Amino acid sequence: MSQVMNDTLLIPLHISYIQNLGKNKNDLMYHLTAHLRMNAIYWGLTAICIMGHREALNRDEMVEYVMSCWDEETGGFGAHPDHDAHILSTLSAIQILVTQDAIDRLNIDRVAKFILSLQQPSGVFAGDSFGEIDTRFSYIAVNALSLIGRLGDLDVEKTVNYIAQCRNFDGGFGCRIGAESHAGQVFVCCAALTILDRLDVIDIPALSWWLAERQLPNGGLNGRPEKLEDVCYSFWVLSSLSMLSKLHYIDSGKLISFILSAQDTEGGIADRPGDIPDVFHTHFGVAGLSLLGYPGLVDIDPVYCMPAALIEKMGLRKGWQALERRTG
Amino acid sequence: MTDYVRYVDRPGWDDVVPIEQYENGSPLAPIFYTNEYKDVANYFRGIVKTGEKSERVLELTEHIIRLNPAHYTAWQYRYETLIAIDADLEKELKLMDELAITHLKTYQVWHHRRLLMLKIRKPIPELRFIAKTFLVDAKNYHTWSYRQWLLAYFNDEDLWAGELDFVEQLLYADIRNNSAWHHRFFTVFQSGVHDGEQDRERVLKRELIYVKQSISLVPNNASAWNYLRGVLEQNSIPFSKMITFVQPYTLPMEEQTTDLVDLDNPPPSKTAHLPCALAIEFLADVYEAEGGDSMLKATELWKSLGNEHDVAHKKYWEYRIREGLRVLQT
Repeated sequence: MSQVMNDTLLIPLHISYIQNLGKNKNDLMYHLTAHLRMNAIYWGLTAICIMGHREALNRDEMVEYVMSCWDEETGGFGAHPDHDAHILSTLSAIQILVTQDAIDRLNIDRVAKFILSLQQPSGVFAGDSFGEIDTRFSYIAVNALSLIGRLGDLDVEKTVNYIAQCRNFDGGFGCRIGAESHAGQVFVCCAALTILDRLDVIDIPALSWWLAERQLPNGGLNGRPEKLEDVCYSFWVLSSLSMLSKLHYIDSGKLISFILSAQDTEGGIADRPGDIPDVFHTHFGVAGLSLLGYPGLVDIDPVYCMPAALIEKMGLRKGWQALERRTG
Repeated sequence: MTDYVRYVDRPGWDDVVPIEQYENGSPLAPIFYTNEYKDVANYFRGIVKTGEKSERVLELTEHIIRLNPAHYTAWQYRYETLIAIDADLEKELKLMDELAITHLKTYQVWHHRRLLMLKIRKPIPELRFIAKTFLVDAKNYHTWSYRQWLLAYFNDEDLWAGELDFVEQLLYADIRNNSAWHHRFFTVFQSGVHDGEQDRERVLKRELIYVKQSISLVPNNASAWNYLRGVLEQNSIPFSKMITFVQPYTLPMEEQTTDLVDLDNPPPSKTAHLPCALAIEFLADVYEAEGGDSMLKATELWKSLGNEHDVAHKKYWEYRIREGLRVLQT
């Protein structure tokens, strides 16, 4: 691998990588990931915004695709025109519409109703009528309601109560009560609690160290003790530390090198050096670099994982910390 | 390799009207299918439109799920069909065993099992099945949280009875399995009091001996130290009570002084890598809690961590030193 890969974010390559997604003929993988399509578009859009090239994807086509996934029966969005509404794709749809300044296309009352209908008696949220529960969905509900200005409709106490019970002996959080601490789940719990102004639920010193401990000698971050490093944890772990104002716990130089070394020579970022890239890791790698102050990138809001200026304009910015953006 | 037979050519399917992709709205980019997936997806759309719930729907949805296990709508429709036609759910569970092993990291696979278990209500064989999947991936997050759900939901003492032994087997196979350590804490301290565990003093003593012996064997194991801390905190035991145990681990092998067998304070094994950063960290926390002059001892230990024993987290140790010195000055 050439040296330039470890020193520079190859923005033009990643922009065309994202633009080319789905253009490969006979690509079985493209439709096997149909259940992720809405998420993938959100990841692609946010990544190009953070890299400063939001014009690289066609806005109108994107908005029309989002609206084609509207499930009139339930009042939510599916991942794909054939898929039932799910909270995951509903949030991505809202995030895309907000980022593209097309929120006027949304029936806010119905979407709010759909989201709120997924809250369980225990306080956690289900993903859809199939009933799978997970603290990810709690975060998604809080994030989505906040973006559409309907956070006031939420039973905050009940929501926070469930998350609080997911706090483990190591200070971390799991997907449901009793589940192991995992960086992805830590992120969603921290972010939900941040939006709801309930960081008091967190044992900040314990969790901050648990997060810092995710950094391995090679500079990458893992998701739980004794697991492999992965670029996506650059976002889950970093954004959590950012919300707890403990970003300085991480060796940023080494992490930046790690993320950059996971770039593919043909564009895109992989989970770790040498693996095949995908839009998920490209997005989270770029997001992590932005939080670390990598020069030339646009600020990202770690709580919403959307452009910071946009979130600030909506009056939703919380007290998180980012490293100062370096010049050149 | 046999050629794929399209549904239109299969006997018993000619009354279904397949529906092509994209009736309304335009895609971000056109999708190119392989013929097989396109065919089965078209027939699925046709079936969903008519709301049919029958045996052949099970055949169709199994086909989709095998090609695309994350197709959550197909799973949902399959479940509704199973219920509507009063299918043999235990047979379904058996069928799912094969899929679960192949697609361990797919949320839907486990949620479907959960729904089936809510009806079948036979958790003991399910525990055995879960144990089998751990042979393939002992740290699978979905599987562990499914096991925790199963135990907590049915909450039967017969279920809990074998759990501690089960965890010990997994830790014996891999002492660094964080999921297993977490599950031990869940079983012992976070799921009520189980049969035979009513003497909490004895349970606490047992757990402390267990984790200390584990540390003695393999000191550089974050999961074990997290477990130790968790047990102490849960039972309101000050960390300072562990000083005698921890101290030897903060010293190099040449400075080990005792060969005495002491159950309460097992020394580092002959193959241990010393000094152990996690032990130094623990000792520093003890000194920090003592405050006063002990804070200086803590900062010395943090310096040794940042400079030598845990350089990967140097930034963090520098922060602890700064904070410690600041406290000293106030």
